[in-house]
Amino acid sequence: MPEAVQPSPGASSPFVALAKPFTPEDEAALREALKRCSPSTFEAAVQFRKTGNPEHVPAVVIGVIERYVEPDLRTKLKDADDDLRLIDDLGIDSLTMMEIVILVEDVLQMTINNDELRSLRTVGDVKTFIDCKIRGLPLPKPTKFLPIEHIGAVMPMQPPFLFLNEASVSSTGANGKYKITGQEFFLQGHFKDNPVMPASIMLEALGQLAVLYLLEGAVAEPGKAVGANTIFFTGCEGVRAHRMCKPGDILTLSVKPKRMKMPLATFEGAIRVGQEKAVIVEEITLTYAFVEAVNPVTAEPASAAPAAARSGATAQSSPPLRVAANA
Amino acid sequence: MHRAFITGLGFVTSIGNDPVSVERSLRELRHGFELYPPFQKPDSPCKVVGTVKEFNTDSADCEDWTWPARYPIKRETLRTLSPHGLFAHCAMLQAIADARLDPADVSNLRTGLNAASGGSPFLTHHHHERMQKMGVMRCSPFGIVSSIVGTLNFNLVAAFRIQGSSCGFSSACASSAHALGFAFDDIALGRQDRMFVVGAEDGNADAILPFAGMRTLSLQSDPALASRPFDAARDGFVGTGGACVLVVESGDEVARRGAVPYCEVLGWAQASDGYNVAISHPDGSGLRVAMAGALKRAGVAPEEVDYVNAHATSTLIGDVSEARALRSVFPAAATRPAVSSTKALTGHGLSLAGAMECGFCALAMRSGFTPGSAHISRVDPECEGIHIPRQTIPTAPAVTMKNSSGFGGANVVLLLGKA
Repeated sequence: MPEAVQPSPGASSPFVALAKPFTPEDEAALREALKRCSPSTFEAAVQFRKTGNPEHVPAVVIGVIERYVEPDLRTKLKDADDDLRLIDDLGIDSLTMMEIVILVEDVLQMTINNDELRSLRTVGDVKTFIDCKIRGLPLPKPTKFLPIEHIGAVMPMQPPFLFLNEASVSSTGANGKYKITGQEFFLQGHFKDNPVMPASIMLEALGQLAVLYLLEGAVAEPGKAVGANTIFFTGCEGVRAHRMCKPGDILTLSVKPKRMKMPLATFEGAIRVGQEKAVIVEEITLTYAFVEAVNPVTAEPASAAPAAARSGATAQSSPPLRVAANA
Repeated sequence: MHRAFITGLGFVTSIGNDPVSVERSLRELRHGFELYPPFQKPDSPCKVVGTVKEFNTDSADCEDWTWPARYPIKRETLRTLSPHGLFAHCAMLQAIADARLDPADVSNLRTGLNAASGGSPFLTHHHHERMQKMGVMRCSPFGIVSSIVGTLNFNLVAAFRIQGSSCGFSSACASSAHALGFAFDDIALGRQDRMFVVGAEDGNADAILPFAGMRTLSLQSDPALASRPFDAARDGFVGTGGACVLVVESGDEVARRGAVPYCEVLGWAQASDGYNVAISHPDGSGLRVAMAGALKRAGVAPEEVDYVNAHATSTLIGDVSEARALRSVFPAAATRPAVSSTKALTGHGLSLAGAMECGFCALAMRSGFTPGSAHISRVDPECEGIHIPRQTIPTAPAVTMKNSSGFGGANVVLLLGKA
């Protein structure tokens, strides 16, 4: 969990102007509202309310989510990446989401609308969403969950050289999974009687996820789109392999853009197996170019739910949170 | 027509939280009254409540509540419950175990649930106050389902995955008697094989104290004297909360499962006074018609009834009108049934009363005793001519009549027979 950030000494609030001073009564009300949250959540909330510094927001949001997650699932949140899904991974239903929202609204003194709520699927979505609200930035596109059919349809790579089974793409990065089946052609010779996933292929898999980000997550100029056939590898730095990966392992891949300036996009990337580090790449750089936007590959906007409905896939795409309306 | 039997009981009451302790209290005429802390203020004229023990639901925040560890309840379930929802959830678990029902017996298309409570004025108050203070969009998403009338059925049907019929009943102090009557009909008509019948009330200050304005609450501060139905010195009822669950099953289901019933439900009837919104008819006219109707529908002659568990709540007018109705339905003095009001021990459970007292009767019929009427030192002369045993009789009634009356003069009478 992110630690509460201390305000720099002497700095008068450089952040969004605070509506009113934070009184001892406010603090008492805040303490009461957060009485079932961790002490660090309360501390972060106090700091936010005193300074308006958005850096405290993630700690508050995670602390509030944690309070509403069943105790046996809370460990997932402890070392969660932003791709942790609210429904599938944390068992949060739409009513619990309402509880979370109401407490967050109360604690951070903000208002969240029902339609804004519907697009929040992951812990990362929630953190980004609240951060944008606080900073007054435009709200990001919600995370898209892409089943294999969609990935296959948009990617220039194809089997047997496509190393993503599922992926999710948001404006802040992409996450994916690949299961090493043991049937990969190169494992016959790498190595003799000892199939080990080549590090170069793992790097390739991260590169593919970065390609998917460019195609599905990056914001192009109006009327333009990143051309699938314009993307190529240019270089990488700081590659370290920490763990052998073998048939049966499920690789959890993530990339985050560090710099994007036509024609180069630089990402940081990581692969884990469960909680174990497998590969870290400090920088992986691709070239790309814009082309005229044509009809997208799929008829509909690539939102996860319709894609999943078409393909019959259910495991990797969860329906958006819906407000209970069964009264 | 199918026969219907009571095969399982769950109790969270002022006189015990399981059938064994309830039976002991009934046999020994031990009451469940205490000086209720929230009432010990100068502005509260009434002091005594039939308190629910082992539970603490004083806070409006359900995560502050405590209840016996033998009932595991997840937060996900707890968050939409009122205090009486918690009581009822525990009583359901108890009744399911008591009837030896497996999960498939509970959740299927042929098993339904009828429930009755007055809702939770306590939580309604809390949520409305929050709405006023914090704004409409900061209301708890569970404010409605945890507090309005119907909260019991919403919650229990969802928590126990009930798939058959479900309905809430709201006829004030006759509510859960109605719930049992219509459950009987569903089984008799073959619509359902099994029904859970649930009555429950918060029994806290918000639920009870508003009755003080009607001048119907006892102002006695001695817990042993406050509730004394049929006594000349009675001065009003004592409130109570809790929950009772009855499992009612068709004869076929009893045979299939090899269940040992507490008693059979022989039939029921209802009639209304059409007289006053809050005062019972002075001659008990609606109650008289309901008693006669229940006897007729069950094919039972008045002289066959051994015991009447009276509605008698210890109010001045109500007890007398019931006594008049009883004298009229059982005119032959020699064969008059024993009449007692177990509200002398529990207090008046409002929507809970009918189901809870049918549960007491079921227990008495299987265990072999007839509860006496406690706390009487001198019978009200207006109630003379009725056989009111002051001590428990160590034999079981073969046929029991259960009277219930609610606001508006709604009268429900159920007949139970030895299984």
